[in-house]
Amino acid sequence: MSESAETANQVDAKGVVVGLVGIYLAGISGIPYLAFFAGIGAVFATKMGADGVRRVCSYGIGTGVPSIGMLALGMGLISAMFGLALGKMYNVVFIGPIVGLVVAVAIGWIVGTLANKIIKLNIPVMERCLMEIAGAGVLVMTGLSVMIAGSMDFVVITEKVIATGYIAPVFILGALGILHPFNASLGPDETQDRTLVHAYSCGAIAMVIGGVCSIAVIDPIAGIISTVIGLAIWYVTFMGFVKLVKRDAGAGYVGTGLLPPGAM
Amino acid sequence: MTDIVTMLTLNWQSIIGIIIGGLCIAVGVHFVPVGGAPAAMAQATGIGTGTVQLAAGSGLTGLLAAGYMYMTLSAAGEPGISQIILICATGAVGAMIMITVTMLVGNWVYIYGVGVPPASAKRDYDPITGNPQAPYVAAGTVGQGIPTVCFVSGAIGGLLGGLGGSLIYCMLMWVNGDPAISSIFAIGVFLVNAVLPSYNIQGTIEGFHDPKFKRLPKAILACFIASLLCGIIAVTIPGAAMLGGA
Repeated sequence: MSESAETANQVDAKGVVVGLVGIYLAGISGIPYLAFFAGIGAVFATKMGADGVRRVCSYGIGTGVPSIGMLALGMGLISAMFGLALGKMYNVVFIGPIVGLVVAVAIGWIVGTLANKIIKLNIPVMERCLMEIAGAGVLVMTGLSVMIAGSMDFVVITEKVIATGYIAPVFILGALGILHPFNASLGPDETQDRTLVHAYSCGAIAMVIGGVCSIAVIDPIAGIISTVIGLAIWYVTFMGFVKLVKRDAGAGYVGTGLLPPGAM
Repeated sequence: MTDIVTMLTLNWQSIIGIIIGGLCIAVGVHFVPVGGAPAAMAQATGIGTGTVQLAAGSGLTGLLAAGYMYMTLSAAGEPGISQIILICATGAVGAMIMITVTMLVGNWVYIYGVGVPPASAKRDYDPITGNPQAPYVAAGTVGQGIPTVCFVSGAIGGLLGGLGGSLIYCMLMWVNGDPAISSIFAIGVFLVNAVLPSYNIQGTIEGFHDPKFKRLPKAILACFIASLLCGIIAVTIPGAAMLGGA
């Protein structure tokens, strides 16, 4: 693992702030056309989770990188739904995402402590990284759910995201966005900016699929706006990723051009 | 209107059920012969993928079976203890079918495709059939394929995983009565309880005959705490119907 261009604190601050602001812009306004902000929040949260995975998995956890992404979304799912349901129970819908985030960070810390102290993995960054990953899980789940449903109301989300089954793609795409970037980029030549730009593009794919899902449940135009913005983010970040791959491939990269006409 | 304290006092039995379910999953993970990437190249005994994929696969199959059984049985009214035993048995059988089919077809690939004899490197003689193992382990590898003892162990693992997953599902159905919320929560609790033990076995295990199996108590303690936590949070979430929704 090479040196980091962005410190963990910077990545976390961006992920939490952009994630929450996006969710609140989409959820509080009640305007379906602004739902895509929650998706953008989810993209930044995905990046925060991917950076946590990157730091903890560089120690070699023995079970493969995907396990920690699934753990993240397992913890994130429970906390996200708890936060939203709590907001609904006490009729203060807007506390939902923050409560979810706090609960997830607490669960992440406890699970990290269990892994280090009882299972004796002895990875120094385990607690901190699991807190980040669980927090990212909550923000991704809440962000994509709010984007699809266009509301932060637990009843609306239950009806439009959970009962329709859209929670399944949200769950697995959210997990993939967090676990895949490092899983794909790991190795001695791994660089932070390449992994994280890949995380943006994975988050954008989740946003596109979320947008397609929301066409059916909220306003079709709002769904199309989310899809198009997701596609634009994906295109820009994926091109950036390709550029960084070429940079890191260094002298070994040689452009071969198209196939010669005779070979087509 | 419901609040957290009422939900907790009303549903304390469900928390106990979720903990039992979580512990079943944690123990089940230790039984499944997980080989990881080396097994995928036929250089280690077990199924060639990670713990979480196997646990999630068998758990979800079990959950589907259990959900169908729940739907059938709940047509006659709120399911009681005897119905829940039936539902959990269905879930366990569903998960066992998934994991045994995976092992059987995997073995066909190892035997007829890769051309290796299934052999365990952890024991000189198979504890069930008594067949010698050491002569069949290829040099430079730690066993190949899924020998009898691993197959039996994997079936037990599937049983426990499916049992735990469907128990958690039933407990959550008692609390919120909403199949969608219950199943997605059961998956969440399932994954937490599948990943923690997989750290305990460091990604690979052959089954109950593997020396790593002795680490089980640590995973049980860790998963007890994790399931307690998940249970407390999960039972405080009411179904949408209780919140005045559709």
